[in-house]
Amino acid sequence: MTAPTSLLHLHRVAKSYGQGETAVQALRGVDLDVAAGDFVALTGPSGSGKSTLLNLCGLLDRPDGGRILLDGEDTGTLSGRDLALLRRDKLGFVFQGFNLVPVLTARENVEYPLLLAGVAPRERAARTGEMLARVGLGDQSGRRPDQLSGGQRQRVAIARALVTGPRLVLADEPTANLDGGTATQVIDLMHELGRNDGVTFIVATHDARMTSRCDRVVALTDGAMS
Amino acid sequence: MKWIWFAVKNVLRNRRRSAVTVLIAAVGTAAILVGGGFAQFTYESLREQAVRQSGHLVVAHHDHFDKDEDTPLQYGLEGQQQLAERMVAEPRVRAVLPRLQFSGLISNGDKSAVFVGSGVDAGGEFAVRGPFLHVTAGGVLSPRPAAADVPEIMLGQDLARSLHAGPGSSLTLMATTTEGSLNAQDVRVKGVFSVGVPEVDQRIVMVHLGTAQKLLLTDKVSTLSVYLDQTEDTEAMQASLRSTLPSLAVRTWLDQATFYVAVRELYNRIFGLLGVVLAIMVLFAVSNTLGMAVLERTREIGTLRAMGTLPGQVVRNFALEGLVIGVAGALLGMVAAVTTSVAFDLGDVQMPPPPGSSVGYPLHVNLPPALFVATGVVIVLAAVTAAWVVSRKAARKSIVEALAHV
Repeated sequence: MTAPTSLLHLHRVAKSYGQGETAVQALRGVDLDVAAGDFVALTGPSGSGKSTLLNLCGLLDRPDGGRILLDGEDTGTLSGRDLALLRRDKLGFVFQGFNLVPVLTARENVEYPLLLAGVAPRERAARTGEMLARVGLGDQSGRRPDQLSGGQRQRVAIARALVTGPRLVLADEPTANLDGGTATQVIDLMHELGRNDGVTFIVATHDARMTSRCDRVVALTDGAMS
Repeated sequence: MKWIWFAVKNVLRNRRRSAVTVLIAAVGTAAILVGGGFAQFTYESLREQAVRQSGHLVVAHHDHFDKDEDTPLQYGLEGQQQLAERMVAEPRVRAVLPRLQFSGLISNGDKSAVFVGSGVDAGGEFAVRGPFLHVTAGGVLSPRPAAADVPEIMLGQDLARSLHAGPGSSLTLMATTTEGSLNAQDVRVKGVFSVGVPEVDQRIVMVHLGTAQKLLLTDKVSTLSVYLDQTEDTEAMQASLRSTLPSLAVRTWLDQATFYVAVRELYNRIFGLLGVVLAIMVLFAVSNTLGMAVLERTREIGTLRAMGTLPGQVVRNFALEGLVIGVAGALLGMVAAVTTSVAFDLGDVQMPPPPGSSVGYPLHVNLPPALFVATGVVIVLAAVTAAWVVSRKAARKSIVEALAHV
């Protein structure tokens, strides 16, 4: 059952919302293998199950059926605490609305996952500074999110997702709130960082510029891969 | 430290709301401190008064406290001079003063009144009474009266008024002797005083011990009052005296101070209830503030949890915010309490006479460090508890639901 070469392996994963006659089948037995270093796009119309699949891949939710293996580990057997620790250590998240903590500066937002992981202060400072420099915000580190542009905020979010050195980054419509030029820059940045660090990306997107740059495109229709 | 900094930043996120909450916590803290401080002052004043009046320890015949006397000094102490010398030899004992309690009639020739008297050692008595004996006219009894002189007496001010007597007036005391016969003694008024309680001031007199003994035809005394250097030594000294004087009864000032005990119990309930009400007020204020903050930050909580923050860590972060609010409120309240206390002292604010008393007393607030610590702990605990309660549910909400929260 386990796919040794897969970073992420989904086997007949199903998920529904609601109960009885109002139940909605969001995913219907999805199989998916994502190899380490892949840059995968999840596409499909609204309601096709992209976000549900992304949430399950990101261990934010549990499937009703099927199995999800991350790095060969069956996540279905893990407790909520173990899943949280797995997310902390192996996953990164980039959200459509950036989801930065508004009272923290860019530096503090990027530093937060390291603080959570118990990294020593000196190392935290070094890694945070380096990551902000890599996303081109070395000189903006003291600014709060409301003092940054949309593109800069998404760069901070990308830096926050990558600062812990995750195996897999999940991005939900990362360019949806950005203008054309900025969106292209963010796509370039994600590719560059992903390639350099060997990080795997799964991106739910409608953006053709994004899908055209991905190694694989997984299309979903009515909760199933098409 | 970073987590505290994170909490401070979150508290400052909605400054006005946080400021109101801190202010409520500060008012609660200040009210508890001022109320508690006033109670402390009252306790200490009453304790001091009780100690100065009775002595830290009272040594008497073993039946003195529990049985009624058929004749004066039936249960009096003999050999008081030797007993006093033995006790004074103890290093913790400052003074041992004999007292002879007696009663009878006092007359100015035209009018008689009932009195309750004390025969005292004037040399030591007025030194220990201090400010709790208010001389309104004349002076206190002479320390060493000449044997040939007419015996001196001090009268309670209402008794003096009733007898139209003042310093220099001649009066006659009449009392039953230890043998059961009637005896009389002419006395001259040396001074008039007040203890602040009208019922006592209408009856009380003080004479030299020798005068009282001569009137009652005895060499006994009622009690020996033992004054110590430190009030804290009272119980240890009581145990020591009980072992060295097994045939005598030894009671502490607290055993005698029924008024002090009653006031303390009453104030403990009043100010205890006040403290509970204020702590609940702070609890609700912080609950309201952080409850709104939790609701507004639901999506942020979802993001933090997605990144691997454990529910317990989310609750801890909010509890730290409660801590910041509680500490800020407590510190502000402490400053307000100290300022209020200083203002009372500078303004010389007077309390009206309490029930049963004829004199008021200064409104003073005692603020011992222990009261600061206890109040601070109560307020901070209330704030942290409120934060913990309101954030617990949000921290366990589904991450997907939290992220979708608008």
